[in-house]
Amino acid sequence: MQQSTAPVVQPPCQNECPIHQDARGYLAAIARGEFDRALEVVRETNPLPIICATICSHPCENKCRRGKVDLPLSIRALKRVAVEQGKSPPPAKPKAQRSQKVAVIGSGPAGLTAAHDLAHLGYSVTILERDAAPGGAMTNFVPIYRLPREWIKRDIDAITALGVTIKTNHELGKNVTIADLKKQGFNAILLAMGLPVSRTPGVPGENSEGVMLALPFLRSVNQEGYRLPPDKMVIVVGGGNVAIDVARSALRAGAAGVRMVCLEAPHEMPASPWEVEEAKEEGIDINCSWGPKQIIVRNGKLGVLECKKVKSVFDAQGRFNPSFYEEQCTLIEGDIIIMAIGQGSDLKMLPDMGVNLNERKQLVFDAKTMTTSQEGVFACGEVTTGPGSAVRAMSTGRRAALAIDGYLKGEKVVFTEPLPLGELAPEVVNGVKRIERNVVPAQDPALRVKNFNIADLGYDAVLGLKEARRCLNCGNGAHLIEEKCIACLTCVRVCPYNVPVTRNGKVDIRVDQCQACGICVAECPVNAIGFRMPGVEDIPQRIETAMKGSKQELGFYCSYDSYYLRGVNTQGMIGIPCLAKIDTKHLLKAFELGAERAFLAGCMDADCPFTGNLEWAQRRVDTVNSLLKDAGLGEGRVKMLKVEPDQFKNLTQLVAAAFQPKEAPKG
Amino acid sequence: MIKATHKRLERINEMIAPHSEVLVLGCETCTGICLVGGEKEVARMAANLRLLNRKNGGKKTFTEGVVRRQCEMEFLDGAASLINDADAVVSLACGVGMQAIAEHFPNMPVYPGNNTAFLGLSPELGLFSERCVACGDCLIDRTGGLCPIARCAKHLFNGPCGGSVAGKCEVSPDVPCIWQMIVDRMMRLGQLSKLEDIKGIRNWKTNDAVGPRAYIREDLRSTPPKLDSVVMKPVAPKGGAA
Repeated sequence: MQQSTAPVVQPPCQNECPIHQDARGYLAAIARGEFDRALEVVRETNPLPIICATICSHPCENKCRRGKVDLPLSIRALKRVAVEQGKSPPPAKPKAQRSQKVAVIGSGPAGLTAAHDLAHLGYSVTILERDAAPGGAMTNFVPIYRLPREWIKRDIDAITALGVTIKTNHELGKNVTIADLKKQGFNAILLAMGLPVSRTPGVPGENSEGVMLALPFLRSVNQEGYRLPPDKMVIVVGGGNVAIDVARSALRAGAAGVRMVCLEAPHEMPASPWEVEEAKEEGIDINCSWGPKQIIVRNGKLGVLECKKVKSVFDAQGRFNPSFYEEQCTLIEGDIIIMAIGQGSDLKMLPDMGVNLNERKQLVFDAKTMTTSQEGVFACGEVTTGPGSAVRAMSTGRRAALAIDGYLKGEKVVFTEPLPLGELAPEVVNGVKRIERNVVPAQDPALRVKNFNIADLGYDAVLGLKEARRCLNCGNGAHLIEEKCIACLTCVRVCPYNVPVTRNGKVDIRVDQCQACGICVAECPVNAIGFRMPGVEDIPQRIETAMKGSKQELGFYCSYDSYYLRGVNTQGMIGIPCLAKIDTKHLLKAFELGAERAFLAGCMDADCPFTGNLEWAQRRVDTVNSLLKDAGLGEGRVKMLKVEPDQFKNLTQLVAAAFQPKEAPKG
Repeated sequence: MIKATHKRLERINEMIAPHSEVLVLGCETCTGICLVGGEKEVARMAANLRLLNRKNGGKKTFTEGVVRRQCEMEFLDGAASLINDADAVVSLACGVGMQAIAEHFPNMPVYPGNNTAFLGLSPELGLFSERCVACGDCLIDRTGGLCPIARCAKHLFNGPCGGSVAGKCEVSPDVPCIWQMIVDRMMRLGQLSKLEDIKGIRNWKTNDAVGPRAYIREDLRSTPPKLDSVVMKPVAPKGGAA
């Protein structure tokens, strides 16, 4: 959410993220093995990094432009690498404090985000949570095998460390009212109460013994350790993510088997496809296109769910409005039925406190200002949007915090949504090296259904590095410095991705298409190409610094290999995000400053994510060697070393060996 | 455009032997575009001269500069202080730019860092090929748009020689016979019969038969210019052209 008037253009991953996290930034840091930095980048925009690294619905991945080439980056799994490998602390509490106080009702993702942001804006924030433990839906309803409770606590602890007070067992309308809060001196009140009530389909027999509702079931499994009686077949009604959570939780809670029944056809299921896949892996039987007709009780015990065939789920206008073949029915046997067909809010206490609901019992709410019908009372989260992901709820929390800040300062707040970079052009896609997506390790399905341990094991550091290297660095590469360009077309001709084009007699380096390989920057004959990614434009200055103190050797290494070099003394060496960004003038500069020899150490061809970069780096080494020979310095002053990941630790020896004079052949 | 190549470093080093403060001056137009005159080439050349000088125990200093077009006096004026501060200039322009410095700075020694190669184009990255000899009387209307003067080893104007075999010139198997290309192209254009027209003897006056050439755009002038070359007029059609 930006607060300026001009829309900012972001990489598609960042733009699609409701809280606009700089995914490209933390992926780049991970690729360089800078895990602390990666976590810092994550924390810049994300107040719940561990939670998001674990359960985020990662809309970013849907827009990842590598998806056009092969498969998108595993961005969520990479965030988990950042939070597991990174050690940087959360940003400290701001020094400047404001006198005003804000109360937040509800400690789910929306409320926590708003509280976090308001605390950083200097306000004194108190969260009122009606349950005994904070976290809202994440604590009550998200299964433990997806999100260990200790991890939630770590994120929440970081927020309370900012001075945010969380008062649990404080329920609006029960032991506190909006008037009380105003009397206590709260200048603004934010309603972030979520959707805590399970809906029922309204079919005959739904009140029978043995019929449960999704949210109470999940809450008792998660919070109270509820386990099902032995040998029970469970039927879960619903096709969303909550239904999947219920089904998979039921298996772990001891169900003999789980059958899901949903209205939607497989392609229409609202659940995330990977959740459906994981449920299937665990042996859950999914029956699509059936709607509950009635629950039949036999011998006083629940036995059968009668279903009717779905004709269509949505009407011609695309609205949810299921129709059925009333005569086409089937019976699904089970001992327990859990209804997971949707959830709603619990706002009945609000009208008495002067906060209006509409005729459909929904909150009267203005999304432009995040306000309710009562002055000083704001709202965010699923009460304002309907059911959605945690990260979407967080984004509304952020927006509400900004709205409250504006209100308390007496300023008008205008929200401007940033814009995404354009699509990747087909000719660019063709040039990009295909690199297989790294599968995120998970517990074996047969074993994981027997426990509540986290199913998704995440990448280790090395797998994280490999995956992060797949990032296309959208928009973080080359840009033309027009006043220096002489339109020689070298960039147009060297680019393996066809990014620079000619337009109206001029060169246009399409920033949104650039793959950040750097070849053009080093080949431009007039230094007319700038580079956004850090670590490129400052190469000359770094050479000067490195060459202070009469050094005889200057080493360059690919900073994507930093992790493998962590045991090696790289003091005085220069890390470059791929060696193809080194220019011949850089190498000559080192010799001018006194170097006797230089080396470039980088990946093997197979490990380099770029197209042709190592070839270009080698070509420049050859050119400089030839120039140095002309200058009377002899041959082979610069060496290029392609190093296997596990050999970087021996870099010193490899360099020494490379410069060792070759023995003359015998005889 | 004009295409050029670098001179050998050793050769440049010999030229500048008497000088101690040398400016390496690039040009961002023709030689910049053919990758021997831009800012980066200037830096590379200067760096290499410094290294060679140091190696030889010399004490020379090398400064670097670049102008938009060395062949324009106004652009050279912009680099005047840089030029005047030096003892000598190594020019990475073409021969025209180098001489412009010589003319505009009468007391400044100027040395060629480049060899001016030809008028040509770059059909692909890293390749530069000759296309034109600037003969002053373009006749490619008769030859399908391809120039046999520039591209035939013998500058033949009335068809191939006996050395044209399987479309290649006998000079090198890499070189296509331009006359084969002319015939193929004129066939494609339906103009092959033009080759049957009898062409008179070409007047080579416009080429190099008169000494240094000049031409005047009368419409841009109120007074006659100070001439330094033979003014060329459109060629009288002795043989037919112009």
